[in-house]
Amino acid sequence: MLEVMNTLILKAVLAPLVLFPVAAAVLVFGLLLKGVDRIVVARLQRRVGPPLLQPFFDILKLMSKQSMVPIGAPRTLFLALPMIGACSMCLAIALVPIVGVYEPNGQFGDLIVLLYLLTVPAIVLMLAGSASGSTFGAIGFSREMSLMLAYEGPLLLVLISVAMKTGLAQGDLITFSLMDIVHYQQDNGSFLFDPWMWPAVLAYLSIIPANLGIPPFDIPEAESEVLEGPLCEYSGPALALFKIMSTMKTMVVLALGIVMFIPGNATGMMALIGFVFKCLILFLLTKSLLRASVGRMRIDQAFLFYFKWPELLGIVGLLLVVFKG
Amino acid sequence: MSFLSKVSVRSPWLYRINAGSCNGCDVELATTALIPRYDVERLGCQYCGTPKHADIVLITGPLTARIKDKVLQVYQEIPDPKVTIAVGICPISGGVFRDSYAIEGPIDKYIDVDVNIPGCPPRPQAILEGIAMAIEIWKQRL
Repeated sequence: MLEVMNTLILKAVLAPLVLFPVAAAVLVFGLLLKGVDRIVVARLQRRVGPPLLQPFFDILKLMSKQSMVPIGAPRTLFLALPMIGACSMCLAIALVPIVGVYEPNGQFGDLIVLLYLLTVPAIVLMLAGSASGSTFGAIGFSREMSLMLAYEGPLLLVLISVAMKTGLAQGDLITFSLMDIVHYQQDNGSFLFDPWMWPAVLAYLSIIPANLGIPPFDIPEAESEVLEGPLCEYSGPALALFKIMSTMKTMVVLALGIVMFIPGNATGMMALIGFVFKCLILFLLTKSLLRASVGRMRIDQAFLFYFKWPELLGIVGLLLVVFKG
Repeated sequence: MSFLSKVSVRSPWLYRINAGSCNGCDVELATTALIPRYDVERLGCQYCGTPKHADIVLITGPLTARIKDKVLQVYQEIPDPKVTIAVGICPISGGVFRDSYAIEGPIDKYIDVDVNIPGCPPRPQAILEGIAMAIEIWKQRL
């Protein structure tokens, strides 16, 4: 019986991935990156570290366990939330172009849809925390909300800076099409090499840790203080879906950063290698090095930090774009 | 043994319960034996914050009278199949606190212990070996 259930759950998860191979490929790549991250952090701390495939083992183990629903929690909502989260991230990755390899149809959505989809995981986590009926989940809920309020502002400013930079150069005020942004940079050089865009680049880099829950900003899911907060009551396949969601979100945020600042001109195999290389560098810079070297902030410190520096960088970046054109 | 259970064995998640320990064994668990120095992560282990995610339970301390009910409650929240390890001499026999009015142990009066790791505190190598044995037991239960 258990075996039958397991294969059913596996099929339910794998079917969408088979239907949309880009998401499956990105998920596999994301999990490999996570494995690399764990090894790199271990080596930085002078130990051996887990095997490269460890994230796959973790996900498969969770798939083979049972999902428990706590007494008092709304069963449907509790089990639907991880699915909504994972699906939203699969949708989001479908909107982000991988230059030279994958070009999304512009009719599906643009930067604005992507911005909305990027907030879904945070909202899913908040709802999951409050739906689980646990005190720790509630604390996680409030922390997730404060952190989201802090980083959404700078994120919006960065996206608008990039969109306005492209739009002003093309004669409109602003363009939200990701392919337009890519084509403009292919013709006129990447934004990463334009000193006037550096405040926006820095702001985006500093948003990534809070957006992805990386120390020192993993405050909502702090396992030693609030028992992993919103994920406290989740187990089995539901928890695995949350892990898949966070892996996909990592990939969406990394790919979005590459599209906005350094898409490159290559096509075919070279483009794929370039994408993997850029992802690796960005990921090691914003996750592994940070994770190995710092502790965890308090929520008020993180909130103040985001209201001071990334917000300031974002505003400066936007003003530079507006006045320099 | 199916494919899933073969893979599962490579990802045991650890959960620590302090049943009134003096903190000596906890320091060994947290700072030398498991993660930073001797690195149990190479076996795929990882500390998890909540009992719901746990596969292997590490219990330290002589089970004091005040904490007994809470320990048993948390232990029940851990899903089966689980493997229980008693770390240090206290949960095994009571150690220096044996026959004290304040303790309810040894812990196997209430909980089925699978692996005992004696010592006060146990050496990190002993803890690693104990966890490796626990993984073997877990393999049979899957």
